[in-house]
Parts: sequence; C-alpha cells; structure tokens
Amino acid sequence: MEFTEFKNAVIAEAKALGLTDYELYYQSGSDLSVSAFQHEINQFSSSIDGGVCFRCLVNGKMGYASTQALSADQAKSIVAHAMENAASLEAEEEEFLCPGGKTYAPLDRKPYTLPSTEELIAAVLDTQDKLYAADPSVIDGTSARGLAQTMRIAICNSKGLDVSYESSVAGLIAMPTVSDGTEMENDFSAKLGKLDTIDAKALADKAVARAKGNLGGEVPTTQACPVIFDPEAMSDLLQTFSGIFSAESAQKGLSRLAGQEGQVIAAPCVTLVDDPFHPDNPMPINFDAEGCPTYKKNIIENGVLTTLLYNMKTAAVAGKETTGNAFKGSYTSPVGIEPFTMYLAGGDLTEEELLAKAGNGVYITSLGGLHAGANAITGDFSLQSAGFLIENGKKATHVKSFTVAGNFYQLLKNITALANNTQLPAPFDMTTFGAPSVLVEGLSIAGK
Amino acid sequence: MISREVCRRVLQKAVSTGADYAELFAENTVNHSIRMIADKVDAIQDAVVAGAAVRVYKGLRSVMASTVDTSESGLLRCAEQAAEALGQGKAAIDIVLHERLFGDIHPVKIAPTSVSNAEKIDVVKASYAAAKAYDPSIVQVTCQLLDVDHNILIANTEGTYAQDRQIRTRLFTQAVAEKNGETQVGYHAPGRRMGMEMFDFIDPKAVGVRAAKQAVTMAGAGYCPAGVMTVAIENGFGGVIFHESCGHSLEASAVAYGQSQFCGKLGQKIANEKVTAIDDGTIPNAWGSINIDDEGTPAQRKVLIENGILKSYMIDKFNGRRMGMASTGSSRRQSFAYTPTSRMTNTYIAAGNDKNEDIIASIEYGLYAKEMGGGSVNPVTGEFNFAVNEGYIVRNGKICEPVRGASLVGKGSEILQNIDMVGTDMDMGQGMCGSSSGSVPTNVGQPLIRVSSITVGGR
Repeated sequence: MEFTEFKNAVIAEAKALGLTDYELYYQSGSDLSVSAFQHEINQFSSSIDGGVCFRCLVNGKMGYASTQALSADQAKSIVAHAMENAASLEAEEEEFLCPGGKTYAPLDRKPYTLPSTEELIAAVLDTQDKLYAADPSVIDGTSARGLAQTMRIAICNSKGLDVSYESSVAGLIAMPTVSDGTEMENDFSAKLGKLDTIDAKALADKAVARAKGNLGGEVPTTQACPVIFDPEAMSDLLQTFSGIFSAESAQKGLSRLAGQEGQVIAAPCVTLVDDPFHPDNPMPINFDAEGCPTYKKNIIENGVLTTLLYNMKTAAVAGKETTGNAFKGSYTSPVGIEPFTMYLAGGDLTEEELLAKAGNGVYITSLGGLHAGANAITGDFSLQSAGFLIENGKKATHVKSFTVAGNFYQLLKNITALANNTQLPAPFDMTTFGAPSVLVEGLSIAGK
Repeated sequence: MISREVCRRVLQKAVSTGADYAELFAENTVNHSIRMIADKVDAIQDAVVAGAAVRVYKGLRSVMASTVDTSESGLLRCAEQAAEALGQGKAAIDIVLHERLFGDIHPVKIAPTSVSNAEKIDVVKASYAAAKAYDPSIVQVTCQLLDVDHNILIANTEGTYAQDRQIRTRLFTQAVAEKNGETQVGYHAPGRRMGMEMFDFIDPKAVGVRAAKQAVTMAGAGYCPAGVMTVAIENGFGGVIFHESCGHSLEASAVAYGQSQFCGKLGQKIANEKVTAIDDGTIPNAWGSINIDDEGTPAQRKVLIENGILKSYMIDKFNGRRMGMASTGSSRRQSFAYTPTSRMTNTYIAAGNDKNEDIIASIEYGLYAKEMGGGSVNPVTGEFNFAVNEGYIVRNGKICEPVRGASLVGKGSEILQNIDMVGTDMDMGQGMCGSSSGSVPTNVGQPLIRVSSITVGGR
C-alpha cells in the first residue's frame, strides 16, 4: 500500500491500543547511478529505498520499530513491536514529541528538475571522453559516474505535527586512473548541480591534474612541525570529530566538552558555524528529525564554546532549548544529534600568506583511514596523509605515505591562523562539512 | 518468499529487450539491536528490511533496478525498468527455473527473532556490568547486542531458484577509562553466524572485561613513538593487515578494471614465501560465512596466495565476464538496494611454523600490536592504513610498556614482502567491511606475524 494508506492504518492501530503520544517518520529515496568504463556505460542502477519508523511513548519510554514493507500486517506489527520495545527501556531522561504549529524558515531553493536517464548517460560518456583526452597518462580504470538522487522525508505525530520535505540533487564524478609507466595513481573530482551547467572539461582536467599530482613523491622525515590542512583535509578532520559537539555525547561522558559551554576551548581565531541554510549545501532543510525548526548558530565563537548541539531530550536534561539538531542516520535509527552544514569560518590571510606564516612544515591535502585512525572520545588521531613539504613559505616537494598525529581537542587550541578560502568540498548529503586552509602547531609527522 | 512462477515471469520481463542474463534478488530481513549506556537500556532498534532488485547483463553491461514493492506488479515494473534501461532488442532466452537446495552448513540453535528483549537484555547487562566493575577508572560503558535474520531469494536465467537464511549475532562492548584528566577507550565485539547459542561459548562478561582491560591499559600509556620499525602483529583482528594491504586489491571489482596493484599477477610471487592466504566462506558458523553468495553461487574456500605466489582472485559473475573467469562465490551486497560485487568472507593468513616467542625475541626495538582497529586501502596504489588499538614497545626481544595512538601505513605490495615470520596459532576477528556494495560482515585472521619494516604513525 502507499504511505498515506499505511499511515492511516498505523494511526488507527495506535489509537485502538490506547496510545496518545506517537509519531511516524517516513523516508524514501531514489538513486539513479550511471558509470562508464573505457568509452561505454558499463553499470547502471536505479534503486528505491526507504521506509517508515513508528515511535510511541509508553510510561514515559519511547519505543521504536521500523519497516520497509508497507502492508496491513506490518502496520499492526510495528505498533506492537514499538510498544514492546518501550517496555524494555530503562533510560530516565524525559522524551518529547514536537508539537505542531511551529514557524519554519522559508527555504530559498530554485526548482530543480533531475536529468533523464538519457541525459545522464550522455553527460557521463562526455565526461569519460574528456578524462581520456585530458592527458596521455590517463589509462583504463578511469571512470566517470553520474548520479541523480531524490529524497523525501515526512514526519507526523499525535501532537499535530505534519511536516514534509523533498530534495533532489544531480552530479558528475570524474575518477581518473593515471600511470607514468611504473606507478599507478588515482583521484577524483565531483560537481553537483544541473548537468548543463557543469563544465565537464574543467571537471575532468581538475581530476586528472590531481591524479597526476599523486604520482611520484617522497616520504617525508619524521618530525614535529607546523602543519597546514587544506580545506578538504580540514573538512574531513572536522567531520571525524564533529560528534564531540553533540550534547548527547557530552551528557554520556563521550565528549570532553561536557560542562565547557562558555569556556575557551579553541584559539581566539576559531569560529565554528552550523548553518542548515548554507548556500552550498544542496539539501538545505528547515526542520530536524524531530520536526523542530532549524537555524544557523555559532558553536564556537572566537575560541569560546557558545553552545553544544541539542535535540529536545538532551536540551531538557541541560535546561535549555533544542538547537534543532535532532538527526536520524537512517529512518530506523533512534533520534540522535548531528550538525547540518558545519564549517570553520575563514580567517583574513590568503593561502600564500598562510604558507609564508608556516615557514617550514607540511601541507596536507588528503587524509585516509578516518574511521579507524581517529577516536572522537579521546580526540587522538594518527592518520595516513599526503601533501607537500612547505619550504621557506612555499609549497615544495610532493610527499606521501606518512602519518600526521595529534589530539583534536589540543588542535583546536593550537590553530594559529586560517586562510580566507572556506569551502564545502563534499556537499553530497544533508550533513556536510567545510573549512578553509588551517595552520596548526604541534603536530607530529611520521615518515622515514 | 516469491513463487517460482512469479520469478519466472519477472525474469522473462527482464530479458525482454535482449539481455543475455537476468537475476532477481529478494530479501526480508529483521535487524534488531539493544543498547545500554550510563547503566540503562536506552535504545532498541527493530527494523524490517524488505525489497527486491532485478539485474540484467548484456555482454559487459549491467543494469540494476530495485524496489520496495515486492508484489508481482511491483516486481514486473522493476524488471521492465531494468529492461528499458538496457536498450532495445528482443528476448532471446527461455527461462526454466529449478529449485536448488544447498543445505545449511551453518546450523542455528536459537534464532534471535524468537528470543525476548528481556533475555537479550540479560546478556547486555552481564557484559556491561563486568566492564564497569573491572576498575574504578572505567567512567562509561556502551554495550550493544545486534542480531540479524537475513532471508534471501535468488532466481536467475541460468535456472537457479534458491533461498538462504543467514542469521548473525554480535555483542559489542566499549569501555572508557579516565586517568589524570585523559580518556582512553577499549573495545571488543565478537560475532558469529549463529543465534543466541553464541553465548554458550562466548561469555558476555569476558567480552566486557576484555574491553575494560584494554581501556585501563591504554589510559596509563604514553604516546607511541613515530618512525619506521619492525612490528609484530597479534592474531585475530590483526588480520586486518592482510584484508587492507592485499585482500581488497584481489577483488574482481578492482582487478577487472585495471584498478589493482595485482592485475595480471596470477602465478607470480607477490608476497614473502612465508605467506599463504585464504578466503573461506564455508567455515561453519564463522562471522563472514555464507551458504550461497548473493548471486546464488555456493560459498568456496579459495587459496589466494600460496607460499607467496598469487593463486586466485575473488570474483563475482559480472566482473568475471570481463576477466573471462568463473565466479568464486564472492558476490555480496548489504541489501537489495546495493549492486552486488566481489567481496571477502573469512580472509586470513594461514598458520606458519614460527614460534611466538621467537618472533618477539627477534625484535631488538619495535612495536607489538596486540589489538588492531579498522583501516582502509586504495586498491589502485595499494596504500593502506590501520589503527593500533593496543600496542606495546618491544625492547631487546621483550614486550615492554603500552603505547597509545599508533597507526600503521604502507603499500600492500611492499608490506606483503616484509611479512617474514608467521606464527602457528591462527585466530580470527570480526568486522564490518564497507565498500561499493555496502557494509558486509567479514572475518579477518592470522597467527602472530612479524613485519620486518613498516611506518608507525605516532608522535
């Protein structure tokens, strides 16, 4: 059955069982993906995914159950399961449902028509051709990919909330493999937007230049030195440690920022922003996973932790208002906390001035193994890296196969300058991260 | 789940535009998890995953379409969409499906879907309490019991009509220790392709104690020094070194497209002669085991590397076409919504002849990596990394003080040559491996090994 029919069946069942506080969270997504090998399309996929999560309050506990099978049987089953799960919960924090009637910021979005399958295929083949044409070092293994995604979220509850959201995004990804005869390397470059506004040649040239730049290179010597993270590397690092700003983590002792609101936690040049309406985020949204309004806020302002990120439950524990950062990783997940577009505000130096300020050190353009070599609870990280040496204030030898190690809580305090080039390098999701080039003292490089 | 006749009609629709192969994959899965933190059960996830996907091939092209509507009309629409995307042509195949029974080499005594929340919570609480009670420095514990009941059906134009029920259980415990204002984390997460009988021989309390012990040890540790060293990597999850440095580069998804450091190297020496490595999906009840893969091919035991010589890749049907090689039962997908591709199952370095004490004694100065964390690799270059969750300095052949915050980085083709001692006691550890076809359960394994030279990321 369709969602509306399923929703009515679930609500009827909930009412019949005497439930007074409940919510349905519906998420569906369609994902069209086309990729090329050599000069042909070799893979095409069109997938539809998504489902419904029902949650309800029973004796103050919020039980959850989810399904993808929208049938009459499942409508009864998820209500029964959610009630049974509620009965097994012990956590004592008060749980809330967002009442209806809130005011939401208007979304300033241009209407966006997704490309047809034929248009997507043509754009991918064109990009693939331009990748091969970009440089003689490009070899088979090179692939262009096109994608078109639509996401829909709807939340309705027994307190009169009824909000919905739909967003679409299309894009091209160029993934060249290059060889200099002895060594292979690869890299990628991605661009989102209407296909006819994406410059395939520029995209292909950029990706090939990056891949070629990865060839060769030396292993740097083991040392402690100034390090610059470029916007991409810094955004990745910020994403990895973004969980420390969650009030849930703080209240559970999994972030060292517990009790630090109002305190200095970073260098005075550091301002960290969360903006659900950032113009470069392809999926701006005006309500969070509980249906509460979202808004822009400074998390760190000139080094001072202004606020953690809250949902309704953690805000009540702290005696505060939600910051509209409730988040569900999947429709099946319990309500957690995430930023929308979290970025470090740019400083006043140009990239060249930042390099000059660093003097001698290492400039990092990519970080690997972030899910493994970094621990958000302790703040420790030791990460595979690639980039350049900085010699006399200029980018010098290409270096790779080394690690950068430090502690993120310390790193925030040891930022000495930021460039004025803030970017959102990978805006593919509702949760996205950005940063400028950032100069940090006191990190360790492990190489030869 | 779906009758043979409906499958036949769906496949017939799928090949209507000239595909030379079509496949229907359907699933109905129950995912359940219970989490305890701060002394309370605070979250229960309970989700039914249900959907289907149709795949068609024509030569070296593949099209997949998926749907959550598993009614006959929904499946036919999905098949039509796949057929249309393939292009224009005429059906050239007649489809006859025969039910194929593979048997179940992974018996399950207590299906988790038949166990109450209360019984599962007892397991969680036992592990939680043991971790919390281990030491006063343990300030927080997170404990989660996950179980999966994954039912799949595969029908294809080669005549296969097969089903499998894959049940998995895993207990995850993480402990946080605090000493002198600094926190450290310990972690243990055993899992099996079986039901709640897993706890007949894995004691939840021991899981909690192991996590807590690691946290307490690391909280007292200084930072690992940086540089190139000789490293001994312990058995169990230590096998992640092979998984990252070599395993991913032997998957057909990389090899078929020239995106692997090991393309065209079959029969050649790619590793130290001490190294024999195996991918075995048939180990009874092991975390990464399957009866059939997600294309309906029976699981196999494959010797990947024998005494340093490359013997086999891990191949799925689609990429096998480009390579001119048969499937090795390696096709896996997280769910119907992902296009399946070649993946690992239980992958390990086989036991060798070196004694553990000789391996440690041989190291003048280096690192003993007792517990490893996750890692990643770029199969094109072979550059990999992984984290050391519990490490110790080795001095003059003796294991000395613990060190924290270490990672190991290197290039697969070089590190495989540097594995120059291989111990006798192979053991495996459990992980979730992420790749283009989603997150799938895999075992990694090895005995204690020595890597003569590798870059240690520390400070």
